[in-house]
Amino acid sequence: MTDTTPVVGGLSAAPDLTPAQRTWRAFRRNPLGTGSAAVLLALILVALCAPLIAPFPEGYGTDTSLPPSSAHWFGTDDLGQDVFAQVVWGTRVSVLVGVSASALAIVIGLLVGVAAAYFRRIDGPLGVLVDLSLSLPVLPLMILVAALAGPSVQTLVVVIALFSWPEVARVVRAQALSIVPLPYISAAKVVGGSALWIIRKHMLPGVMPIVAVSVVMTTSRAVLSEAGLSFLGLGDPNSWSWGAIMHKAQLSGSLATAWWTTLFPSLAILLLVVAATLLSVAYNDARNHRAH
Amino acid sequence: MRLKFVGIRLLRGLLTLWFAVTVAFFLVRLLPGDPVLAVADPNMTEELRAKLLADFGLDRPLFVQYAEYMVQLLQGNMGISFRQALPVTEVLLERLPWTLILTMSALAVTVIVGIPLGVLAATRAHRLTDRIVQVTGITAQSLFVPSIGVFLLYTLGVVIPIFPIGGAINLDATGFDATLSMLHHLVLPGLSLVLIQLGNFVLSMRSTLLEALGEDYVALAKAKGVRPRAVVWKHAVRNALLPTTTLAGLQLGALFGGAILTETIYAYPGIGRAIYEAVGQQDYPVLQGAFILLAAAVVVANLITDLAYGFLDPRVRTS
Repeated sequence: MTDTTPVVGGLSAAPDLTPAQRTWRAFRRNPLGTGSAAVLLALILVALCAPLIAPFPEGYGTDTSLPPSSAHWFGTDDLGQDVFAQVVWGTRVSVLVGVSASALAIVIGLLVGVAAAYFRRIDGPLGVLVDLSLSLPVLPLMILVAALAGPSVQTLVVVIALFSWPEVARVVRAQALSIVPLPYISAAKVVGGSALWIIRKHMLPGVMPIVAVSVVMTTSRAVLSEAGLSFLGLGDPNSWSWGAIMHKAQLSGSLATAWWTTLFPSLAILLLVVAATLLSVAYNDARNHRAH
Repeated sequence: MRLKFVGIRLLRGLLTLWFAVTVAFFLVRLLPGDPVLAVADPNMTEELRAKLLADFGLDRPLFVQYAEYMVQLLQGNMGISFRQALPVTEVLLERLPWTLILTMSALAVTVIVGIPLGVLAATRAHRLTDRIVQVTGITAQSLFVPSIGVFLLYTLGVVIPIFPIGGAINLDATGFDATLSMLHHLVLPGLSLVLIQLGNFVLSMRSTLLEALGEDYVALAKAKGVRPRAVVWKHAVRNALLPTTTLAGLQLGALFGGAILTETIYAYPGIGRAIYEAVGQQDYPVLQGAFILLAAAVVVANLITDLAYGFLDPRVRTS
């Protein structure tokens, strides 16, 4: 091990280092992880600062369907709008929907997963519910609900969260089940701790590392779901997202003629999802590093 | 034992199907607004509104509607398409064969290409070949389906126009030419689906095979002097196939999801393209019917995989 703090006979030379700090040290040394984190931060920054980077793309321009040039980095679409501006503003909605939907899904999944592991009586029914939900084809179901609820950013967030939590619940339950039989949970029960208190103080901290990985992966899956729904025409008609840019290209037929209208939103999606995947891989490695 | 195994699997399939149709029913009814009235004139008179509600049975209690809906479904009735004035079942059954051709051929190619790739990665674990397979696999998993679809369409359909970029068959072709035309139209959408699935399949094959290669029976086979190639293919691969096939079964929902997006790009006349068109026309009965039909397809495909494995692998039957 290349640890700067030598571990001798199980006694660390720096005993004040918490597990979280050690994970962070190992993570920092992995360029793949830090690079991915930097990419994700950059995307969030673009989302936050969109108005400073490019004007909101709307209306009609004179330069229609131009390939990338120094004036239009990503070219223009059939209405003469700047594709670069569309991608920048699209980052805003794609990231917003991804993060919000994933946050909502994580909260539901966390509650259901921990409750199923702790209260044995409801574990059976909840397990069946999760299994059944996971075996449904999710995209057609999301399409049905999004179409009925009417296209808007809120609809997308709720619909994606509604069908993403079972995956989180499954992972959280598996982890929580390994915590329930531990002595400190029994001890907490013996001293008269209420179920809510035990869950809050002892169960939730135990499942947090799993949730951290889950946040990243659920967000990237939510971004893909948003892109898919928007591509099919279920996005908010008044705002841009990466999927919506491709939807417009599909509608106008630029799909087959103007490669730049689909390439750049595609690259943005790929960048986000690959960075998220590598980040979770690096985080897992950093945590396991601690175990060796 | 065998009969019980079949019975349990069958029951689970039916339960999933019941869950799917029930979810569809309640989601549609619980959402704000009457789906039927959403497409009618919003300025209609109160009498007309009441008449429409009565015509579609929406004025009755929810559980009566639910019972009626189940009875209708069991008779294969999924309502009338708003826009085409045809029964939804008729509209969708006409499209179903195309989606099945597309998804099942993509699945077959994924398995045929994926097994050797997984074996290659596992037998050369942690070497360059393995690294390349792994990195490619992770990247392929991260692809957005329309992205890969558009990329193939542009490169192999527009820049080098060797494949058609839309439709499923040349309607003028007859006999053998028709089959050829069908395969020709299948290449690009099929390849898009294969590329999306392959990464996941290969990575799963690799990890289960690596596990199998560490088992005692592999060591025994080696000790008995079985040739290395035979050890891998006849002993380890056969056992690694079960978890991988199970995973492929779980991925079927995603495969149909991918088909919706791919068919949209290639104007492929399957269920997916029907869904895309129904979204544009706010044709809710078609969307609901498509979901139910795809859920049924997933259930049936999973049942077939389960049963096939039960007959091939005795461990599945008894556990």
